Amino acid sequence: MGEPAIVVRGLRKSFGTKEAVAGIDLEIAAGSFAGLVGPNGAGKTTSLSMMTGLLRPDAGQIVVDGKDVWADPPAAKAIMGVVPAEAQLFERLSGAELLEYAGRLRGMPASEARSRATQLLDVLDLAEDARRLVADYSTGMRKKAMLGCALIHNPAVLFLDEPLEGVDPVSADVIRRLLTRFVGSGSTVLFSSHVMELVEQVCDHVSIIDQGHIVATGTIDQVRGGKTLQQAFIDLVGSRATGEEGLTWLGSSSS
Amino acid sequence: MARLLVQLKLRLLTNALRASRPARISFIISTVFAVLVAVGTFVVLALLRGSAAPVTQTAVVFTVFAFGWLILPLLVFGLDGTLDPATLALYPLRTRPLAVGLLAASATGAWPVANVIGLLGVTVGLARGPLGLLVAVVAVLLQVLFCIVLARFVTTGLAGMLRSRRGKDFAAFLIIPIFALYETFAQVVPRLAAEGKITTRAFEGIDRWLRWLPPGLAAHAIQDASDGHAGAALLRLGLLAAVILALGALWIRSLGRSLVTVDTSTQSSKVRSAALPFGRFGIGGTVAARFLLYQRREPGAIVRWCIIGVVMLAASVSTIRTPAYHVGLIISAVLAGIMLSVFQANTIGLTGPAFGLEASSLNGLRALRGYFAGHSVALAFIAVPLSLVLSVGLATFAGHPGDWFWGVAIDLCAIGAALGLSSLLSATTAYPVQKRVGSPVPNAADGYGSQAFAGGMGSLFGVLLISAPVILALIFTHGLADAVRIPLLVVCAAAYGAGLAWAGCYLAAVASVRRIPELCQDALRSKL
Repeated sequence: MGEPAIVVRGLRKSFGTKEAVAGIDLEIAAGSFAGLVGPNGAGKTTSLSMMTGLLRPDAGQIVVDGKDVWADPPAAKAIMGVVPAEAQLFERLSGAELLEYAGRLRGMPASEARSRATQLLDVLDLAEDARRLVADYSTGMRKKAMLGCALIHNPAVLFLDEPLEGVDPVSADVIRRLLTRFVGSGSTVLFSSHVMELVEQVCDHVSIIDQGHIVATGTIDQVRGGKTLQQAFIDLVGSRATGEEGLTWLGSSSS
Repeated sequence: MARLLVQLKLRLLTNALRASRPARISFIISTVFAVLVAVGTFVVLALLRGSAAPVTQTAVVFTVFAFGWLILPLLVFGLDGTLDPATLALYPLRTRPLAVGLLAASATGAWPVANVIGLLGVTVGLARGPLGLLVAVVAVLLQVLFCIVLARFVTTGLAGMLRSRRGKDFAAFLIIPIFALYETFAQVVPRLAAEGKITTRAFEGIDRWLRWLPPGLAAHAIQDASDGHAGAALLRLGLLAAVILALGALWIRSLGRSLVTVDTSTQSSKVRSAALPFGRFGIGGTVAARFLLYQRREPGAIVRWCIIGVVMLAASVSTIRTPAYHVGLIISAVLAGIMLSVFQANTIGLTGPAFGLEASSLNGLRALRGYFAGHSVALAFIAVPLSLVLSVGLATFAGHPGDWFWGVAIDLCAIGAALGLSSLLSATTAYPVQKRVGSPVPNAADGYGSQAFAGGMGSLFGVLLISAPVILALIFTHGLADAVRIPLLVVCAAAYGAGLAWAGCYLAAVASVRRIPELCQDALRSKL
């Protein structure tokens, strides 16, 4: 395992009486394609928000590429890119304007930001829609635009929250290829998902989070232990389907 | 089907009562207003008895109600779940029973009932004799039915558009003429009436063509029946019924079509420029570029600017043509600052979840100063010319163009105060906002009303207090020669305003530098 790109120690966060993140520890090596998986409400988004400096933790330390996120936020934010789960886009800018804006906010000269925006829009298959307002983009196009915003300053570590949620297979493939290329160049990706097939396909490292705790972490082979990741995941967090016996009428076409 | 949809409407109304405190309060306010409208209309129509031409005024009232039904669905679309036929498109329903059901659901609720009760004022004001009374009741029912079918026809025709982004943008702009109309009624009509310029005779000309419109047909049918012309009354009612049937048939046709067609009239277009301006001015220039584009492209922003303009004009109406025109100039200029500060006192909440993108680069005092300065520059770019043009225009309209500097000096100081205050309030009292159906601009999210109120009060008293020295200087420098007085006042007011705006940016940066994650969470909770 190489130098860790992301180190999380004793991370905690409560909302009222509910403990969303109950003291997690995590270490992701530089150059990894890491997945953080868990059921809905497990604490994935809360953890990623704290790791990216957008939500103040109650306790714990997060170090990204040697920079302490909460002791020195400017230094840490400068080297990370973030793709949040919910669209956080300026809807009334065009795709080209949005990416240029993201670049210029990061302190890039306008001409450089413009040129990178054009290249990214091209790779993300958004060149034709570059002058359309983001408000008129589809879900897949929005995710791609968000990815463009997160990559424009060439971050060392990229955090993505459910990057392929609601994305069509063609757009998903574009995103997947771009991320694989990004990791291939030595950068690190940590993304949250609950689609096991995707994690199994692209990740070399996976952590399973449930009810605010990391219940398993390691390489894909270590975590699945000879089973599919889906089965390993269900074994760890438990199957929750019950009460199906009552639907005796379901399946008959006579309504 | 009709029963089911009426039950659905009633369930939606009772659920609104239970949903949350603000929803309950708005439901109660709406019901109280409906009762007031019912009683008020009844009284107004009843008082027409004995006036010179009650039928003319009745026709005007009937037409105003029909106009209200025509406009209102565009503003409150989505508020009523039964209004949008697309919500029922998945169910195996035939168009005709669906139409009857939707019509019955429309007629359920406080407002349709208030309409019927209010308009029944004609039974006192216009109708005479048993035949007149009978025709009056039928005419009122037909008039309300006409209004409902008309509203349904408009909503169904525009349903596709109102679901699209561009359609909603268009609907948002409708608030401007409505607000302007309201201000005209509130400010101008009482004055004209007091001066004796609005009398019952003013409506005489209108009736010549109003009588052939459906609301006019209803009013004149009552008059005919009261005069003993039963045939003419029946003919008019028949004509009105035919119009309702024709409109209903057209509505059913458009309903059938709207269930299976996608609106293509609002397909997105491309923006002209591919790049953002102000590339050389660092983070301040970057934020100013984005914010300026938003002032042009976001309907809510355009609505806010138009409201500032309308308020400036309306506030001076009562004094501008009188010897006390200075009061109008002062009030109008101070209000420009107050309104600007009220509208912009929560910039971060209004930015919404997209603030997350900006927050990732707002590190340190310098960046934050640039951020708030960018906002202030973009706002000043519009606010200064807008208020100056209106103030100079008002001075000219008052017949004293030489007094242009009164408004201009106060504008410059009040806008500076507004920019400074809005930066400071945005940094210290940010709160999430929520875009609600029927409102073109987002309001405070549930539970944050008191913060919004505090921001509004802070803006009101802050701008007023900060502008006071300039107002006093204008009053007490009366003895100075204009050649000295005007440049002195305008330059000092501009410098004062610029200083206030800069101080606001500086203090806002200091106040927010350690609170970026908290501000970010407030912005993320906004629903735009």
